[in-house]
Amino acid sequence: MAVSSTPHKLRKKKKEASQPATSSNEMASSDSKAIVQSPAFPLVAFFWPARKNTSQWVILPLVLMVVGLFRWCTGLWGYSGFQTPPMHGDYEAQRHWMEVTTHLPISQWYFYDLEYWGLDYPPLTAYHSWLLGKIGSMVNPSWFALDSSRGIEQQLLKVYMRATVIVSEYLTYIPAAIILSRRLAQLRGVSKWESSIALVAILMQPATILIDHGHFQYNTIMLGFVLASMSCMLSDHPIWACTFFVAALCYKQMALYFAPAIFAYLLGVCLLPRLHIGRFIGIASITLLSFALIFAPQLLGSLYDTHRGTSQPLSTIDRHVNPLFALVLPYIDPQSLFYPLLLQLTQTIHRVFPFVRGLFEGKVANMWCAIHTIHKLHTYPIPLLQRVSLFATLMSILPACMIISLFPQKELLPWALASSAWGFFLCSFQVHEKSDLLPLLPLTILLAGDGGLGVEMRAWIGWANMLGVWTLFPLLKRDELRVPYYVLSLLWAYLMGLPPTSLDLYIGKQASKSGMRLSTKALHLTFYAVMAAWHLLEAFVEMPKGKPDLWVVLNVLIGVAGFSICYLWCTWQLILRSGVMEEWFGFRAQMQAKGTEQKEEKKALLSPGNGTRATPPREAKSGKRQKKS
Amino acid sequence: MLKIENLGYDSWQTICFQRSTVIVADLALAYALYRYVQTPPASSQKATHAVATSILLSPALLIIDHIHFQYNGFLYGILVLSLVCARKQSTILVGGLLFAILLCLKHIYLYLAPAYFVYLLRACCLSQKSIFRIRFGNSVKLGLGILAVFGAAFGPFWYWDQIDQVLSQLFPFSRGLCHAYWAPNVWAMYSFTDRVLLFVAPKIGLGVDQSALNSVTRGLVGDSSFAVLPNVSPKTTFAITLLFQTLCLMKLFFQPTWEIFVGTVTLCGYASFLFGWHVHEKAILLVLIPFSLLALKDRRFLSAFRPLAVAGHVSLFPLLFTAAEFPVKTLYTIFWLILFLLVFDRLAPVSSQPRVFVLDRFSLLYITVSIPLIIYCSLLHELVFGKKYEFIPLMFTSSYSAVGVVGSWIGFSVVYFTS
Repeated sequence: MAVSSTPHKLRKKKKEASQPATSSNEMASSDSKAIVQSPAFPLVAFFWPARKNTSQWVILPLVLMVVGLFRWCTGLWGYSGFQTPPMHGDYEAQRHWMEVTTHLPISQWYFYDLEYWGLDYPPLTAYHSWLLGKIGSMVNPSWFALDSSRGIEQQLLKVYMRATVIVSEYLTYIPAAIILSRRLAQLRGVSKWESSIALVAILMQPATILIDHGHFQYNTIMLGFVLASMSCMLSDHPIWACTFFVAALCYKQMALYFAPAIFAYLLGVCLLPRLHIGRFIGIASITLLSFALIFAPQLLGSLYDTHRGTSQPLSTIDRHVNPLFALVLPYIDPQSLFYPLLLQLTQTIHRVFPFVRGLFEGKVANMWCAIHTIHKLHTYPIPLLQRVSLFATLMSILPACMIISLFPQKELLPWALASSAWGFFLCSFQVHEKSDLLPLLPLTILLAGDGGLGVEMRAWIGWANMLGVWTLFPLLKRDELRVPYYVLSLLWAYLMGLPPTSLDLYIGKQASKSGMRLSTKALHLTFYAVMAAWHLLEAFVEMPKGKPDLWVVLNVLIGVAGFSICYLWCTWQLILRSGVMEEWFGFRAQMQAKGTEQKEEKKALLSPGNGTRATPPREAKSGKRQKKS
Repeated sequence: MLKIENLGYDSWQTICFQRSTVIVADLALAYALYRYVQTPPASSQKATHAVATSILLSPALLIIDHIHFQYNGFLYGILVLSLVCARKQSTILVGGLLFAILLCLKHIYLYLAPAYFVYLLRACCLSQKSIFRIRFGNSVKLGLGILAVFGAAFGPFWYWDQIDQVLSQLFPFSRGLCHAYWAPNVWAMYSFTDRVLLFVAPKIGLGVDQSALNSVTRGLVGDSSFAVLPNVSPKTTFAITLLFQTLCLMKLFFQPTWEIFVGTVTLCGYASFLFGWHVHEKAILLVLIPFSLLALKDRRFLSAFRPLAVAGHVSLFPLLFTAAEFPVKTLYTIFWLILFLLVFDRLAPVSSQPRVFVLDRFSLLYITVSIPLIIYCSLLHELVFGKKYEFIPLMFTSSYSAVGVVGSWIGFSVVYFTS
């Protein structure tokens, strides 16, 4: 324990003087007398005593313990599918995969009884399940007995499963978040103290805790790999960035939301400022190699199983179930070496990307679900819908990808990732409501950057996160997670000084100094009011007869509106910060030869202190239109 | 829910309701601490805030109240409030009455009553200048107030002739010397010595009481009888408790300042916890909370406080035994210990009198030992022995904690009597 028993004076090391409050983050709201400084929002107040000369070796363990406690206490509540036979929920799915992977030969993992929670994540998830299943079987083999353990519900098993989530998170997401926030701080000259505050804000993000530790999933592993990839890109290690990103993709295919932006950024790094062919080849080959490495155990295992004759014979596989394999089947010889390999690969891809399923599942706050409430979409053929959604997704990610490949700057990366992920979330095929964790991740990471804890950024990021967790409420309610939902989201709002716990960001001294536009304030406050009203409605007003899901539909519609604004805001910020506009304006100014006004604007945009400017949605829209034209 | 026959009723709503009552009742503690923060001089503002926060966030209260389920937060809120009231001459009577109310809420505070009695007598009923001049006005007010409080509490039972039954429920002398999980006091060390002697006795020629061999507590409630050492009677325990309490009361009688008073309350708590009959480990709060108020007086107090903070909390761990609660209790306690011991270390002023630094090294060693101990008791023991010898981890925990509590008691007594 780090208890120092040294008497009298502490042995203070000389350290570089960390500024208690930097101007850019507006951490301290200085009094009019300019001597008395007080914390700007409650989370800062918690760190206030530590602002001078407190070692990171003290702060970090304490922070990790506190966030760990909140995670564990969330885990004491219910999980998805508790006592709801016959299919249960995500918890049972994860447990079932541990059962399947530990008991069956590797070649059968993607084939075994697909009706009951067949494996539908890429191989890294399967390996992870295998490892956890092996460890769990050492504790109690009956937890993961083949078939007989289905739907098992035991107190100790729940503790084990919850512990696996936490341990996995502490090995991936949390170190990645710490390193990334440090990296951002170094890059943008943010003090260590502020960086620790941002780290707590990131780690206490309610949506992630509620989904992973309440609902039960392992999203943080994938998100952790994405964060690791981001921090490698920030520190100029594109090769490692690729490796981590491939790992993320091979853990959950949802990481694809980030893929276009990451691809565009890496392409930009290779092409600009000058062509860098060696780097390009390196990135390409390492990406292929990582994919090969991750798929290797599965493919080699299936070869081995075929050799031993334990592989699944083809006759039992319904060819219609796997259209991809049906496509290649006529061209290969069943006796050839490639046959089992192709079978495995196509089956995995087919399981991972279920195009045969509908456009969206359940009630999710994306475009298709919103349009569906007004105009029924299931009357159209699925291939048409697929093409429309593909086109819409491509259009939505186009601005982000173009900007990031033309201006491959490190500080633009989170914005590009956020914009691309929002585009995917809103427009793509087969989106889950849980997927809003993905766009929220790079957005929340921005808190650790320059000015991230300042009034405007905090207002926007806080608003997006509150909206995000609010759209998850119907899902969490089904899992009986209402109490943790209220506690964690209100706690985060309190720590960050957001409505409903505090209006300081929008009304009062702090707000008037920040220079946030009135329209932005009005927009945010309207959304907060609507969310609060919806909660009252949902809790106290009977559902009208004949419309069983009215409240959920309302939630979806409001959510879509908010998420679209988030998307537009991220894209607009990306455009603004990339300097495209200035080039454009500069060009016009040169043409018109009257530069004074624009130069001032340029200065204002370039100076790091007040980089962000008010961006009401209407302006953002016009900005986009400009971009497209 | 409130039907008496409905024993073992635990619907989700009931649990929610009961838990939330504990949280609401905790507001009393918050208010008391708020009042406490308001009282001191500006020079010790920071220290007072740190102490108040440490009490409010105390893992002992979390473990006992919010997980195990009791209303200690509320009760100790009243205790702190009465201590705070006793600080000023103008509100000292209110402090006394609050303590009377507290006694009627839970009689465990009888252990602290001597300190209150002497302090009220000296600071309120007798004149400041001479102990032979009685202030009758104050005495009458106090007496009437206390009578009214007790009348209101016990009156109804007395009216229906149930007072005997009430008293026998309150003072269960029929139970054993040690509670099921030995509280970390002198008797725990005594029992531990007895256990050790059980193996050694035949070799050095001591007689072993065969009848006691089969009825040793072994983690069960019941009469504990010792195999080698002499048995202890309730009267003995009382005599020892009273002896140690009287020693510190003498000092209070001649120096009735508020800080000495809080010190006396702490020492009364120590004496009763260490030597009392059938003490429960939860009673450690009786020492911890008054001591917290003094911990930042200077560094000598702090070095006595450190082992108590560790031992007191570790001794509560056996209260929670399910796997799901394990991370909560250990993580939170370790968090609290690191945070507040570091903060206290920064804030405690240098003492005017010299200290013995070697003891600090021992206390550090003591604190470090707690880590392997917790690991052994909660993980290794079950891995090695399975369900056998379940009493061993309990015995280790309480003996370990007893060493810490006794050590801090000696340290605090020295500081108390020398300052």
